[in-house]
Amino acid sequence: MTVKKTGKKTFFIVVAFIALFAVISVLGIDKLYGDNRTTYVKGVDDIRLGIDIKGGVDVTFGPAGEFDANEDQLDSATEVIKTRLSSLGITDNEVYSDTKSDRIIVRFPWKVGETNFDPESAVKELGEMAELTFRKGTDTTTDADGNEVPSGEIVLVGDDIASARSAYIPTDDGKDYEYVVSLELNSSGKDKFAEATGELMGSSTPISIWMDNTLISAPTVNSTITDGKAQITGSFDADSSKKLADQINSGALPFKMETKSFRTISPTMGEGSLDAILLAALIAFIGIAVYMVFLYRLPGFVAVIALCGQVAGSIAAITGWFGFMNGSTLTIPGIAGIILAVGMGVDANIITGERIKEELRTGKSLDAAIKIAYKRAFSAILDGNITNVIIAVILMGAFGVPDSFFSKILNKTIFFAFGATAEGVVYSFGFTLLAGVICNFIFGVFASRLMVTSLSKFKCFKNRKLYGGDTK
Amino acid sequence: MSKKKTQEEVVLTPKKVYNFCSKKKLILGVVIAVLVVFIAGAVIRGIHLAIEFKGGTLITYTYQGEINTNDVASAVKDIVGSTVTVRTGESLDSGGKQITISFTSDQGLTVDRQTELTTALREKFAENDLEIYDSNDVNPASGREFLLKCLIAVIFAAFVVIIYIAIRFKNIGGWSAGVCSIFALCLDLLVAFTATVVCKFNIDSNIVAVFLTILGYSINNTIVIYDRIRENRKLMPKASLNELINVSCTQSLTRSIRTSITTIGTMLVVTIVVMVTGYDSLLSFSVPLMMGLISGTFSSLFVAPVTWSWWMNKREAKGKKSK
Repeated sequence: MTVKKTGKKTFFIVVAFIALFAVISVLGIDKLYGDNRTTYVKGVDDIRLGIDIKGGVDVTFGPAGEFDANEDQLDSATEVIKTRLSSLGITDNEVYSDTKSDRIIVRFPWKVGETNFDPESAVKELGEMAELTFRKGTDTTTDADGNEVPSGEIVLVGDDIASARSAYIPTDDGKDYEYVVSLELNSSGKDKFAEATGELMGSSTPISIWMDNTLISAPTVNSTITDGKAQITGSFDADSSKKLADQINSGALPFKMETKSFRTISPTMGEGSLDAILLAALIAFIGIAVYMVFLYRLPGFVAVIALCGQVAGSIAAITGWFGFMNGSTLTIPGIAGIILAVGMGVDANIITGERIKEELRTGKSLDAAIKIAYKRAFSAILDGNITNVIIAVILMGAFGVPDSFFSKILNKTIFFAFGATAEGVVYSFGFTLLAGVICNFIFGVFASRLMVTSLSKFKCFKNRKLYGGDTK
Repeated sequence: MSKKKTQEEVVLTPKKVYNFCSKKKLILGVVIAVLVVFIAGAVIRGIHLAIEFKGGTLITYTYQGEINTNDVASAVKDIVGSTVTVRTGESLDSGGKQITISFTSDQGLTVDRQTELTTALREKFAENDLEIYDSNDVNPASGREFLLKCLIAVIFAAFVVIIYIAIRFKNIGGWSAGVCSIFALCLDLLVAFTATVVCKFNIDSNIVAVFLTILGYSINNTIVIYDRIRENRKLMPKASLNELINVSCTQSLTRSIRTSITTIGTMLVVTIVVMVTGYDSLLSFSVPLMMGLISGTFSSLFVAPVTWSWWMNKREAKGKKSK
């Protein structure tokens, strides 16, 4: 099965690889040009820490002006904010709503490298809190304060739009492709839009799209749209169509909101809790290392190297190395995910270590014992880890950003009764667990087998005692 | 390696095989004991849901000088009678230092009580010049939905895991094995929950992390043992089920104990460090998790295989009778 026989060199190659990987994932790669730091690969310093560990911003939003939001509107605004936070990769957040005073309280952690802790700029990260409207025509009037405000009859508001996305589709004559923004409307918006497009079809009056008092687009109506699916065409390119889609999506608030107050908050776990966690992690890791070497000698030593690789892998996943998985905010549940994955990594090494001992006891040669031990231990490790992958994927799907693949499947089936909520805390756990389990296969199984097999080729490491075998 | 050769393999049964299957009463005893402690804990200590699940009030005061959040928390505890979360912060729009106290709704914070609390706190922290800044009632709706969604997600995950076990462990009767592993998991979760209740920790999102960790750990632990049974079934085709379970559990014993020492040890280190450094809020994570891990070790070695053997033997007896 193995293409190439594992030789003596393999050990050093694997160790060098793990060492390099660990150093890069911890330190990251960046360059300083004067005061500008360009980050090529993110390191530990670039991890966004959760509010439970580092504290963050506390913002209170409320409807602008005298607007009295009802409970449904407040709930949907809460969902919009939660989803935005998750889409931004701020998986750790607390969002409370207060129906009595129409307020939404949002808490989220500081951005990486934020040192001046300015809540005002942090709030900007959340995006526009403006109200989105679709109106007939582009007429404006001047209001009492002298501002120019749109005056066309309102066709749709943010609430009526289910989603907007950028698409690349063939043009009407089918000869060419063009970028468009395709809209999907809610049942509430479908009829209103059908009526308005029916009225305006063929006329020169466009339907204009506004964010508060800013006109962002004014497409003319080509046909009556009755199925709630519309396309805005025009001279879009990839960027501008995506920008408009994003604007419409993020503008889908049921009412205009403004910040009532913002302030900093201290970490839930207490200032400096991160130091306590890191200290505990260090002590535990040293303890495990000593224990593994003491119990399993050479395979134990190899296990420690593999575990270093695994921890580095978890860090790399959180800092967002892997394109298919966005980086995440590190929170206590996220740390729990890492602990579980590392625990399973230790377990994988213990299972194999025990197996090597057992196989040696049956009187097999060292080479055969190592080979068979890894082979037999694998089925247990595989099944245990796959069940954890199942759990991680379900959690990520159930609590991830609604746009992601698994969320789409799960939210339409099992969780149909719930809104597509994104809960960062659980997502963060699933994320670190999944990343950890993958690292488990790479380091705990594959790399450690290569290392043990390679080391066993050295004459000085041929002693069966080094593998926990009998003395005879 | 061909299948034929595997069967020729010498089976090295341990010198001493412990009789795991005879421990039915022990398991029943443990399950009952945990239930009793849980109910007693829930009755005496009560179950404390955190503000995100229960709703409540957030009161913010501005203050001057230095203030210790732990002192405020204990002062509030003296007045209201239960633990609250206290956080400090700095407001940039009004430029003052602020302290926020979260009360859950069951703490009966009426307007009168709130005034009483403010007066008492102002007296106690006279030099900090506390002023009430803001008071918000918090809606538990989204928190409750979150909790419910968690529950459904966990049940769904458990269901998928049963299917997976049923497929992968077909040769030893996978369905029943899967169900028993989930039964063992329930015990572990109950133990962790009991620890939370008895220690009077708030049920907040930390508990969700604890439950999920135990979910993964407990099932992994049980699967390692099932894997041994699956392997031994091939090696010892003639052995009775109980023999098989006993041999497999004995063979896995060293591994189970050693793995548990590392995981439980890690949580013990966390607990000790947290206690020494004074970040008590992390205890609501480390203590229940540690108890759950201890239970996980026990339940994967005893509860899952033994209930499974009991189930299979019963089924066999029934089968014989009907013949």
